[in-house]
Amino acid sequence: MIITKKRDTKAVLENIRNYRRIFLVGCGECAALCATGGRPQLEQMKELLHAHGKEVTGMHLAKTGCQVLGTKRELSPHKEAIAAADCILALSCGAGAQTVVELNEDKPVCSANDSMYLGNMTRHQVFDERCSMCGECILDKTAGICPVTACPKGILIGPCGGVADGKCEVSPDLPCVWIRIYERMKKLDQLDEFSASVPSPKDWSRGARPHNGNAKEPKNSR
Amino acid sequence: MSLHKAFEKGKFVVTSEIGPPKGTDTDDIRRLVDLYRGAVDAINATDNQSAVMRMSSLAVCKIILERGAEPILQMTCRDRNRIGLQSDLLGAHALGIRNVVVMTGDHVLAGDHRQAKPVYDVESVQLLNIINSLNNGADMAGNALKGNTCFFAGAVVTPEANPLEPQLMKFAKKIQAGAKYFQTQAIYDITMFKVFMGHARRHQAKVLAGIVVLKNERMAKYLNDNVAGIRVPQDLIAELAAAPNREEKQKAGIRIAARHIRRLREERICDGVHIMAIGMEGSVPAIMQQAGLLE
Ligand code: SF4
Ligand code: SF4
Repeated sequence: MIITKKRDTKAVLENIRNYRRIFLVGCGECAALCATGGRPQLEQMKELLHAHGKEVTGMHLAKTGCQVLGTKRELSPHKEAIAAADCILALSCGAGAQTVVELNEDKPVCSANDSMYLGNMTRHQVFDERCSMCGECILDKTAGICPVTACPKGILIGPCGGVADGKCEVSPDLPCVWIRIYERMKKLDQLDEFSASVPSPKDWSRGARPHNGNAKEPKNSR
Repeated sequence: MSLHKAFEKGKFVVTSEIGPPKGTDTDDIRRLVDLYRGAVDAINATDNQSAVMRMSSLAVCKIILERGAEPILQMTCRDRNRIGLQSDLLGAHALGIRNVVVMTGDHVLAGDHRQAKPVYDVESVQLLNIINSLNNGADMAGNALKGNTCFFAGAVVTPEANPLEPQLMKFAKKIQAGAKYFQTQAIYDITMFKVFMGHARRHQAKVLAGIVVLKNERMAKYLNDNVAGIRVPQDLIAELAAAPNREEKQKAGIRIAARHIRRLREERICDGVHIMAIGMEGSVPAIMQQAGLLE
């Protein structure tokens, strides 16, 4: 899921300082799970804006904010409330915010959140980053643990000289991912194969931005 | 004599290093080259060491060369992508630089520009492969070069890494990728170092033991607490602590370094040493003298 963090209230208010009437859009998926864009956060934002002399013309919790067509359909009953607003405030990730941008050509859209990373939720509202969507997965060569993401240097052949007692040079709170990979390889009896290989440098062209894609099977294929 | 030749001749090789200046003043570099020239076999120019922005190691290597000494270009993967690295390697070669030591490089978070974007497009083993390729007349994309390089490539290793085995695997990979010699992280415990050398001797590569000159017991404790892969044993800390004043402590540090170098050479434990005398550069000739390396 996409991990988002609430922006500082001051920063949000600063960004919408020129607008008095605001329409709020939240997201029922990741942002709801991160407690940055669910129903309770929409209500809290409404109160906060009232307290700062703003008027909230309406609000909507999108089912999936990054789903453009679905969100478009969901927002149509709110036409008037959106028309009455000077600005739309998106309580979602940057992708959800830009769905709203696409659907409202003539309306400023501000974002109430910072979008951080693709994360796994390990416990309620506790996240960690395991995949950075590099476009060329090497998990099969690294015992299923991703060094592109979990090593601050993204080293494909580790560990670097900075590892100290199994901890990463960047922070003593961070286990060196290459020691984790090494331990797991040992368990899975994959060390010999690893010793013999030198992974080629990553093909970053696969990660060239912006991405777009089409998951539909071509019509004539079976 | 080139570094390559010195190894070939079976010489006990001594390298040292110069940390480039923060600024354009190159007086210190010239002074240090004059001090080292004739004593050491080659001088590293460090590459924005500890991720602290300084003059480029390439420029400092050129100054070392002009001043009549043999430079070693240190190259980290932190600040340049594969285009920048290859381009600088071609430039270094054109300027007459022949020795390169590669490393991944301390993370930007360790340095004085913490907001910088860390690059690490490739890492040390891959950079060695790239050098190999340039030496064979092609860039890493396979395009032919008009004039190939002939670099003598080396790398770094931490003999006291914990755990050691993954470090040894990487060491072997570096050799596979063309590393002909290694400069090690600072070592203070010869018995431990011998364990590492037992593994290293299964390969052809030459090993230069890292010697960091201790100024006092505080520095030793600092290294123990803060630098990965360095362990100063208690008896050395006691030896430094026993010295009554600053000057005597420095003398003790020099004595320890010289004693270790002498032992490494006499017992043929490794192929040479890499002396890092941070802030005590002036002591290098004295250390070599006491170690019996200078007539
Ligand atoms: S290798 Fe790339 S795609 Fe695979 S887990 Fe890591 S970042 Fe994600
Ligand atoms: S210590 Fe390990 S995780 Fe940290 S930068 Fe080095 S290889 Fe990566």
